[in-house]
Amino acid sequence: MSFRARLALFFVATLIAVQALTAVLVYQVTRHELIREGQRQLGVAATAFSRQLDDISGRVADSVQMLALDYALRSAIAQHDQATMQSALANHGRRVGATQMLLLDPEGRVEVDTLGAYARGTRFPYSDLVNRAYTQPAAAVVAWRDHAYWMVVVPVFAPNLVGLIAASIPIDDGLLARLQAQSTLPRNIELAARERDGTWKTMARGHESVALTMPLMSRKPSLPTPPMLLEAHGREFVAQAVALDHSRASAPVIAVLGYSVDQALSPYRTVAVAWAALLALGLAIGLVGAWLIARGVSRPVEQLAASAQRIEAGDYSPPQIARGDELGQLSSAFARMAEAIREREARITHQAGHDQVTGLPNRINAEAAIQRELEGGHSAALLMIGLARVPEIIKTMGHAVCDRLMRDAGARIAPIGKGLAARATDMQFAVLLPGAGRQDAIATGFRLLDALAEPYREADLTLDLSPAIGIALAPVHATGANGLMRRAEIALLSALGSEEPITVYEAATDPHRPERLSLMGDLREALDHDRLELHYQPKLHLASGRIDGAEGLVRWPHPRLGSIPPDDFIPLAEETGNIRRLTRWALAAGIAQAGRWSAAARDIRVSINLSARDLDDTELPRRVAELLALHAVAPQCIALEITEGAIMDKPDAAVAVLRRLTDQGIDLAIDDFGVGHSSLAYLRRLPVRELKIDKSFILHLTEQRADQTIVRSIVELGHHLGYRVTAEGVENTRVLRQLAEMGCDHAQGFHIAKAMPAPAFDEFLSRREALHA
Amino acid sequence: MRTVQWLTLFLALISAAPAGAGVLEVSLLDQHGKPVADAVVTLLPQNKPSPSRGGLGGDGVDAPSPAHATTVKVIDQKNLTFIPYIEIFRPGDSVVFRNSDGTRHHVYSFSPAKAFEFVLAPGESSAPLVLDKTGVIAVGCNIHDQMIAYLYVSGAPWIAHSGANGTVKFRDLPAGAYTVRVWQPRLRPSQPDLAQSVTVVGATPVQTVKFDLPLLPDPRLQFDREHTSY
Repeated sequence: MSFRARLALFFVATLIAVQALTAVLVYQVTRHELIREGQRQLGVAATAFSRQLDDISGRVADSVQMLALDYALRSAIAQHDQATMQSALANHGRRVGATQMLLLDPEGRVEVDTLGAYARGTRFPYSDLVNRAYTQPAAAVVAWRDHAYWMVVVPVFAPNLVGLIAASIPIDDGLLARLQAQSTLPRNIELAARERDGTWKTMARGHESVALTMPLMSRKPSLPTPPMLLEAHGREFVAQAVALDHSRASAPVIAVLGYSVDQALSPYRTVAVAWAALLALGLAIGLVGAWLIARGVSRPVEQLAASAQRIEAGDYSPPQIARGDELGQLSSAFARMAEAIREREARITHQAGHDQVTGLPNRINAEAAIQRELEGGHSAALLMIGLARVPEIIKTMGHAVCDRLMRDAGARIAPIGKGLAARATDMQFAVLLPGAGRQDAIATGFRLLDALAEPYREADLTLDLSPAIGIALAPVHATGANGLMRRAEIALLSALGSEEPITVYEAATDPHRPERLSLMGDLREALDHDRLELHYQPKLHLASGRIDGAEGLVRWPHPRLGSIPPDDFIPLAEETGNIRRLTRWALAAGIAQAGRWSAAARDIRVSINLSARDLDDTELPRRVAELLALHAVAPQCIALEITEGAIMDKPDAAVAVLRRLTDQGIDLAIDDFGVGHSSLAYLRRLPVRELKIDKSFILHLTEQRADQTIVRSIVELGHHLGYRVTAEGVENTRVLRQLAEMGCDHAQGFHIAKAMPAPAFDEFLSRREALHA
Repeated sequence: MRTVQWLTLFLALISAAPAGAGVLEVSLLDQHGKPVADAVVTLLPQNKPSPSRGGLGGDGVDAPSPAHATTVKVIDQKNLTFIPYIEIFRPGDSVVFRNSDGTRHHVYSFSPAKAFEFVLAPGESSAPLVLDKTGVIAVGCNIHDQMIAYLYVSGAPWIAHSGANGTVKFRDLPAGAYTVRVWQPRLRPSQPDLAQSVTVVGATPVQTVKFDLPLLPDPRLQFDREHTSY
C-alpha cells in the first residue's frame, strides 16, 4: 500500500472512528437523557393523572352533590316516593354522565338502583364510601364487571341526612382519550384491575395506547412503581404504575402510564440523518483533503525515489522539486549527494581505467578500448613496448625510481601512440594504431624506439631503457582485443630474446597457440586408448654392416590433424606433466617389441628416449625391471637415451636413477651429444655406455672440416673413455663411409632407413639379410 | 310478672320518697374527648312500662305528663341560622318560626313527626304549629342549605339538652333504675341514639354517667366550601 493510500486511509479511519464514537456517545447520552426525562415526565404525568382523576371525581361529586340539593328530589326521597326517585335519579344520572344511580338509605341499604343491579334493601357494597359520605361526598374508583368507574356517594340532607345518592360514572377509553387530548398525558395510558389470581386485567386504555400492564406488572413491583424501562411489542418503554384511590370493596385499580423511548427518539432521527449526511460529507471532504495532502507529500517522495533509482542506474541529474519545506531540503540534499557520487564515480572510474603512475589507460581499459576499435573487423596494429631492464631496475633502484622512469617513458610514448597508448603491464606499454598495417606498424615501432633510445636521466642516474617492440596485427593475427594483446606480447617476448628490437608476431613460432591445449587432451586420450605408435629406426653397426639396434621413436597418428611430429607434442607433454605417462608407454611398447625380437632370435637392441623429467621418477628403475621381467627381455636388449641437458639439470637425482638402471645391466646413451654444455668431468661420473653425436655435426660432415675434426675427436674421445659412439642424421653414403673410416661404431639416419613400424622393420631386416646373403 | 313490676315501683317510690334528692349527671364527650353540646338526654325510669322503642329520637312517651301545660316556643331565624339549633318540645306544644333576617326563608320539614313547608318573608312569623307527635323534626330552609334546626318532641319525664360544657344534670331524682338515652344530630344514622342503664340511689349525692359519642361533622358546615376537603 502506498504512503498516499495509507495516509488517506488513516485520515478517513480516524474521521470515521471519531464520528462513530461521537454518534454512539450522543445516541447513548440522548437515549439515557430521554429515558431519564421520560421517567421524570412519567412521574409528573402519573401525579398529574392521578390529580386529574381526583379533579374529575371531585367535579362529578359536586355535580351529584348539586343533584342531592334538588328540593324535589329531596322531597321525593324524604317521602320515599319510589317512582319519582327512580326517574329523578335516572334523569340526574344522565346529566352527570353516570351509567348507574343509586339511592341508599342513611344506613347504606339500597333503596333505588336505576340499573337494577342491586335489589332493594341489599347493602350497598362500597360501605367505605358510604361511611365517608356521612361527612362529605365520597368518590373512589371501583372495578365492576371488568370496567372502571368512579363511584361517587353524596349524602342527601333534607335537611337532616335522609339518604345517600351513589353515582357510577364509567372511566372508559373515551374518557382517557379525552384526558390525553386535554393535557400532556403520555400516549400510553391504561387502567387495570387486579384479578383474584393476582394478575392484572386492563379495563380501559388511552387512544393508541400500547398494552404495558402485562410487561410491567408481571415483574410484580410494589405500588406505586418507579418508572421502569421495559420492552413491549419490540419497542422500549418507560412505564410506571400508580394505584388509584379505589374503594376498599373493589379490586385494586392501577393506572399504567408509558412513555415510548423510540417515539421520544424519533425527533432525533432527522438529527441522525443530518448527522449521517454530515459525516458522509465530512468523509468525502476528508478523503479528498487527505488525498491531496498525501499527494503533496508523496509526489515529491516518489520523485525522490525515482531520482534515487536514476542515480542507481548512473543518471545523476538532480530531482526537480522546488519546495521550501523539508522535502525541498531533502531534494537539494539528494542533488548534492548525486553530484558528490558523480564526482567520486568519475574519479574512481578514471582510477579504475588508468595507471596511476603514468596516467595512461591501464590494461583493462586498453583492452576494452581495443575491443571497441576492433568491432566490425576493423584492421589495426597493436604495438607492445617492453622495457627489458625494468625488473633489474626495480631490484637495484626500487619502485620509486622505476615509477618515475615509467612515467617518463609513458610521456615519451604517448605523443607517438596517437590512437591509443596504455600501460599494459608493469614493464610494458601498448600502442594501438587503428587502420595500420604491417609497414605502418613497423615504422611507428622505429619511431618509438627512437623516442626511447635516449636513456632516462635523474640526478646522477642514467638508465638505459633497452626497449623492444612486439607487433600483432588485426584481424590477421587476432580479431579480439585479448587475442591481439596476447599475440603482441608473444611477439614482444620474442623480440626481447633476440637481436631484433621489433618483432612481428608469427603464428608458426608461437609456442602458446591455443590449439596446443586441445592437443594435450588428445594426447592423454591417445595414451589412454593406446593410439600412439612406436616406430623403430635401425642402427647400423658400421664394423659388421649389421643392423643390431633400433631407436624407438613415438609417432602419433592424430585422427584429425594427421601424423603429429614428436617435436610438437613431446615438449607439450613435458610442459603439461604428461611426459612420464608417455615414457611409460614408450617403455612398455619398446620392451614388448624387444621381447618379441628376442623371442624371434633377432639381436636388436631397442633404445628408448627418456625425458629429463623421467629422471625425477624414482619408480622408473623398478618399472623398467618389471617390464623386462614381464616380457622376458634381457637388460642388454634395451638401451635408454637421455639428452645432455636432462642430466645437467638435476645431476644428483639423475645420477641416482640412472645408476639404478645401469645396475640392472641396462645401457645408457647420451643423446644429441655435442650441442649441450656437458662437462666431460661430470660425464665421466655417469654410467654411460654410448654417445650419440648430434646430427648437426653429421649432416654436413663431408663438406665441413670442422665437423670432421669434431666427430673424429668425439669418436676417439669416446672410445678412449670406453663409450660406444653413434652418429645420427646420416643421409648419404659418403658420410657413412667417412664415419666408418673414423671408426664410429654405429650410424643412424635416413640413408640407412627412417623410423618404421615393427612389421616394416622386420620386413626391412629380412630384405637386407636376403641382400647380403 | 306484673306483681313484680308493681313491687319494684313500690319499692322505688318508697325509697325515693324519703331521700328525694337523687342527682344524676350525664357527661357527654365526643370521640376526641371534647364535651358535646346540643345533645338531648332523656331519662326514663325503668320500672315504668314503656312502649317499644323506635323512631328517631323518640322515647315512646307520647302523652305529656298530666301536670304539664302546653307551651309555644319560637324558633328564630337570624343571620341565616335557626335559633336555637335544638329545641325540646312536649307533645302538644307548638312552635312558631320567626324570620328576623332580611331575606326570605323557605322553612320545611319532611320528618314523619311533622311535615310542613312555608315561606317566611323578612320579619314575618309563622302560625303556631302544634307538635303532637313525638320524634325528631329536622327543619331546614330550602333557600339556605346550611340552616337547620331540630325539634325534639318527647314525653319523657326528664329531658334536657347539653350546653357547651357537655353535661346535663338531673336533680331530685327518685332512687331507682333509669334508662338514660342520648341523641345528638351528628350521631351516625345507624345508631341514632345511645342508651345506658343507671340506678339512682338517694344517698349518693351525684351519680355520674358518661357517654362517648362518635360524632359526624356538623352538617351545618357541610356546605361551607371553605371547610370541605374534596
